[in-house]
Amino acid sequence: MALRFAREGAAGLSLVARHADKLNAVGDEIRKLAPKIDIITIQADVSKPRDIERIVATTLAQFKGVLDVLVNNASTIGPSPMPYLLDYPVEDFREVLDTNLMGPFLLIKNALPAMIERSGSIINVTSDAGQVGYPGWGAYGISKFGLEGLSQTWASELQETGVRVNWVDPGNMNTAMHRVAEPEEDPSEWADPADVTDVFVFLASDESKGLTGKRFQAQEDWRARLNDEAREEDEAGELKSSS
Amino acid sequence: MAFTFILPPELSAKEPPERRGIRRDQVRLLVIDRATGRIEHTRFDKIDNYLRAGDLLMFNSSRTLPASLRGCDCSATHGPCMEVRLAERLSDDSWLALLVCEQGDPFGCGLRAGMEIAFAEELTATVLERDAHIPRLWKLRFSISGAAFVDLIYRLGRPIRYEYVSAPWDLDYYQTVYATEPGSAEMPSAGRAFTWKLLLDLKRRGIDSAYMVLHTGLSSYLDDELDREHPASEEEYFVSRITAAKINQTRKAGGRVIAVGTTVVRALESATNENGSVMEAHGYTRLKIDNQHRLRAVDGLLTGLHEPEASHLDLLSALLPVEQIHAAYGEAIARRYLWHEFGDLNLIL
Repeated sequence: MALRFAREGAAGLSLVARHADKLNAVGDEIRKLAPKIDIITIQADVSKPRDIERIVATTLAQFKGVLDVLVNNASTIGPSPMPYLLDYPVEDFREVLDTNLMGPFLLIKNALPAMIERSGSIINVTSDAGQVGYPGWGAYGISKFGLEGLSQTWASELQETGVRVNWVDPGNMNTAMHRVAEPEEDPSEWADPADVTDVFVFLASDESKGLTGKRFQAQEDWRARLNDEAREEDEAGELKSSS
Repeated sequence: MAFTFILPPELSAKEPPERRGIRRDQVRLLVIDRATGRIEHTRFDKIDNYLRAGDLLMFNSSRTLPASLRGCDCSATHGPCMEVRLAERLSDDSWLALLVCEQGDPFGCGLRAGMEIAFAEELTATVLERDAHIPRLWKLRFSISGAAFVDLIYRLGRPIRYEYVSAPWDLDYYQTVYATEPGSAEMPSAGRAFTWKLLLDLKRRGIDSAYMVLHTGLSSYLDDELDREHPASEEEYFVSRITAAKINQTRKAGGRVIAVGTTVVRALESATNENGSVMEAHGYTRLKIDNQHRLRAVDGLLTGLHEPEASHLDLLSALLPVEQIHAAYGEAIARRYLWHEFGDLNLIL
């Protein structure tokens, strides 16, 4: 996703990850791809509130207080193989919620002041496990249920600020985390993460201004659904005015 | 003009309001009417009763740094350790800082130009010279700068705390809800009581907000004599074109510009030209405001309650006769208002 944003001409990128080696490798690749981009890499753990303060402060120091887009895609699956809730170690459960739910909450809370004046865009990454209670998906699924509720509440509270909050289910993707979660499945049937970035670019761009509080499925025809919804809203409006 | 009074120690707010069992916006509010001198006592979340559509609240959105670092003199064997309180980032990317020795006399452990201070493996600083204006401050050059420096001080530092607070509160307690760019040594605390709900409610009622940045320095140099002289520190400020335009439009339309904090008054008065127009600006200000200063950009002020002889009290005299400030402070003490960054507030309109 970072590479795609760089290709689309982002002026600046702040990338955050727990592991410096992978983070720096992506940073270097982006610098080669877009030499003029203002890029910063921050090694941090979003399950730690102090790290979140540091992420936001360092980013805003780099970008002189300006931030337009926040993508919350850091996530952890928890123990593997995934235990049933009855067997779930409490500390592991808490760690998953801290990363997948508290992390986005605190990142939004800290970053929002810089985004309000610029009518920024917040994009939270969810999962179908945030809508269906699959057995064994324990803390991960519950954290995503929470993230969807968090996104809805932020969207409604920020309605009049111009900041938009939307959330994206990228669908089955061939990521290290997914391979750990479902080792018996064939990952070649899953999408490459690079192939589901269109919706993120759309939500980060001015094209999505005014669009908030919506759930997107990256591997479906979300543009057609948006058009259908817009048409239905127009028709409802016409019906109302004619009655 | 400074007047003095005795502030009973129990009137220092020791905890953030949220840790005293109230919300951040439920601190007390002392309101002084500039035209009549009338004093009212209310609660901060009722501030809308004193504002009207067309008014503009001007905030300082500087974010508080964890500006207290622990380091040791590494240019000598067994060199002394000290607290380094960052005060100001200068235009050449060096910093002014207060160095406080850990052992014995706070300034007597051989502090000197040329000293090397080690904070962590990745961070050291060279002491360059004493500051010419505020001799307790030293000029330091750190081994790294920019965002990487911010990243490191967020790993290593703690917020600056004074002896009256009861616990080492986390940095989060030292932030306003609208803070953006990091750079203040201490919290611009007049705006601490605002919540987003209140800001959005006010906006719905036609009371707009605008933001500027002034990175605050230290409020004390841990030196009574120097603190009594209250030398004006040099502070970096930014006023954007959009903010300047909002202020000028507000005043043109007959609205009032209400500064949230004395830092806002200093920045805006520094950015105003002879015709009274606020200009887009980025600079450093040492502007000292007192009863001789005619305010050109600001009509009202929301501020904390200031210590006896603090320079901020001089600034209040640009808005009110000294006798009125004295009377109001007398009432605040009698009614047990709380002072300092977690304390109660004073609205002058």
